[in-house]
Amino acid sequence: MDPLLKELTKLEKLTAANGKGPSIQQSLDMLLIALESAKQSFLAGECSEDDIRKLAQLVEAKKKEVDERQKEKFPSPLPSYSDLFSSPSSVAALERTIALHLLRTGQFDVAETFLEESNVKIPDDLREQFVELHQILKALRNQDITPALTWAKSHQDFLQSRNSPLEFYLHRSQYIRLLLSSHPPNPLPAISYANTNLRPFYKEHEVEFRRLMACVAFLPLSKLQCSIYKDLAQPTLHFDLEPLFAKEYCASLGMSRQVPLRVVGDIGGGGALARIEKGRKVLGDRKGEWSQADELPIEIPLPSENRYHSIFACLVSKEQSTDANPPMMMTCGHVISKDSLQKLNKSGGRSKCPYCPVETAVGSAKRLYL
Amino acid sequence: MGSKLNQEGIMLFEQPFARVPYENYRKIFRTSQKNVERDLGGVQTIANDLASRGSGGNLSPEEAVKSIDSMIGKVENLKRKLSDLHETAGKPTQDVMRERLHHLATVESLQNTNQPEFSRWADIRLDRWLVDWCLRAGKEKSARSIAKAKGIETLVDIDLFSDIRRIEDALSRHSCAEALAWCSENKTALRKIKSTLEFDLRMQEYIELSRARKTLEAIAYAKKYLIAWHDTHLPQIRQLSALLAFPPNTVCGPYKRLYDPSRWKTLAKSFRLAIYNLNTLSSEPLLHLALYAGLSALKLPACFDHDTKNVDCPVCDGDSGMRSEPLGLGKLAKEVPYSHHANSTIVCRISGKIMDADNMPMAFPNGQVYSLEALEDMAARNGGIVTCPRTNESCSFSALTKVFIS
Repeated sequence: MDPLLKELTKLEKLTAANGKGPSIQQSLDMLLIALESAKQSFLAGECSEDDIRKLAQLVEAKKKEVDERQKEKFPSPLPSYSDLFSSPSSVAALERTIALHLLRTGQFDVAETFLEESNVKIPDDLREQFVELHQILKALRNQDITPALTWAKSHQDFLQSRNSPLEFYLHRSQYIRLLLSSHPPNPLPAISYANTNLRPFYKEHEVEFRRLMACVAFLPLSKLQCSIYKDLAQPTLHFDLEPLFAKEYCASLGMSRQVPLRVVGDIGGGGALARIEKGRKVLGDRKGEWSQADELPIEIPLPSENRYHSIFACLVSKEQSTDANPPMMMTCGHVISKDSLQKLNKSGGRSKCPYCPVETAVGSAKRLYL
Repeated sequence: MGSKLNQEGIMLFEQPFARVPYENYRKIFRTSQKNVERDLGGVQTIANDLASRGSGGNLSPEEAVKSIDSMIGKVENLKRKLSDLHETAGKPTQDVMRERLHHLATVESLQNTNQPEFSRWADIRLDRWLVDWCLRAGKEKSARSIAKAKGIETLVDIDLFSDIRRIEDALSRHSCAEALAWCSENKTALRKIKSTLEFDLRMQEYIELSRARKTLEAIAYAKKYLIAWHDTHLPQIRQLSALLAFPPNTVCGPYKRLYDPSRWKTLAKSFRLAIYNLNTLSSEPLLHLALYAGLSALKLPACFDHDTKNVDCPVCDGDSGMRSEPLGLGKLAKEVPYSHHANSTIVCRISGKIMDADNMPMAFPNGQVYSLEALEDMAARNGGIVTCPRTNESCSFSALTKVFIS
């Protein structure tokens, strides 16, 4: 357990008790009451030093109490990598990344201020594309699919090349809305909408098309929600259009589906730095040396959605493949690195697979492109 | 999808976040403590005096009542001062502390990264980092505008940084007064971390006097402020005394260095370090640390090869398009080490999914590998013919071979 968390609970207790101010106030009130009573007793002609002494003691005790509370200690500080990203070109790269991040997440006013305060230039057309993206997303949020559809129509070839279901899903959302909007249920407008707009997608989305048509038999909504078509009554069917659209739009600009700064930040702030620091401690504190090294000496586990590239590590040589040492598939289908394959080469130009009894002739192993 | 939250890794970044308002509160507390000490000390003296005179027997009731009245006055005055301090400074700081701790408690209660609450939390965290970065880079307007747009003013330290900026600006105008005032406010804490910032500032003021050739003033200054440091800084004090014998345009190495105006930049830097240190702020922006770790966890040689780039990969830097020299994260990634992998992971270039025993890798006759699922899907739509998207080579699905990557 992180010692920091313990500190936090300690702090929480401190604030939960409503801090030191009020309790000081309480004891001051007590002091005042005591003084008033002392005054009364003096007026009554009774001298009482003891009371006064007690008051002084009370103050002393209070101070001690307060001092006790002051004692605290925080554990390990954050590491420091001096001069990281401090060269002018790196600063420019970071500024550009942040500016694009602000634009991409639709914070146009903030982005404006940021661009004023930094030296990056974002081309106007790129900026306008982000504005367009957010206008379309806003329309989708307001149940208006028209701008999204217009965009999808003008990028039909691109979407088709990606097998994107965007256009079909936009129409599907509209169809379901039409279907559920009439009271009492009148499926005719929805069906005529489906005939003109959904039918062209019959070939690609045959199963889903049939389900959409069949679900008409289960109206109204309350009945649909209990049927096997209840997924079509889910609001996510409409809400999911926003991320899907953003993904396709960004892809058309050659941008990633996730917000890159968030991805990197979440990985770095979600354990990678802690692991790197731990690794550094275990491997001895050779600070500078290590950050200059070409490769981290430890593996940082990544969630599968953050695996963007194939990695082939040969189990024989334990090395990652390179252009000069690519993965080679033997006739049995097992893969090892080219270097390992050559080392296994016996006389007669054949190599025995390390995993199975099959032997492969030197020339017949095939280079793989992962 | 999603993975278990690494609480330890998350909290590593949050120490300054919790610590800054705490330090702030400690300062307020110290002020109130000083008030208590001074005023109650007075009360104590009166009380003791009263007691001794009372036991001596020469105390008239009128006098006793008068001194008790004065005690009441003092205590009431103290009470008012403390409650003012609490209302104007103590309470707001406590509120900041509570909000920050709630913010951390939110993430503490989460288990998995695919919870929508985590995504919202991480959004706020990134905004906090951006504000922190902007503040350190001197982009105060941007910082304020992010904080305001996201409603996270209590979660960022704009006031602290504008204070830092104010003092740094003064140093860049060659004025030590502001920094010295800060030093005296934080005397005990600076002594605890053995900071010599105050001496360095005093030294600089002395050097400036010498530069202006105000020799007598410089000597008086040294007597007043520098001699106190003789236990620890005797050699420097000696050298400074000798400095008076050298004009500002001297060519004598050690003294030329003392007159060097770049010392002001060093001073600004050591001030920054000291104030970061007192607030346990990292010397680097948090965003840098997160990017360093995040980029090196992702960085692979494949990110820099045109043929193996993936638009979705942050290191490949799709934002830069197909330029040979990356402009954004890819440029930053050049400063960090590559990730390390002991095991193979094969990612399908069509579907982006990781291939395993349930979704076998399949090879075209030309050696291009894709996942079974993606190729089956393609074959179903094209009458059993599959086409490699990289080489445009087509073959029938049955011509593909299974690949075993152990």
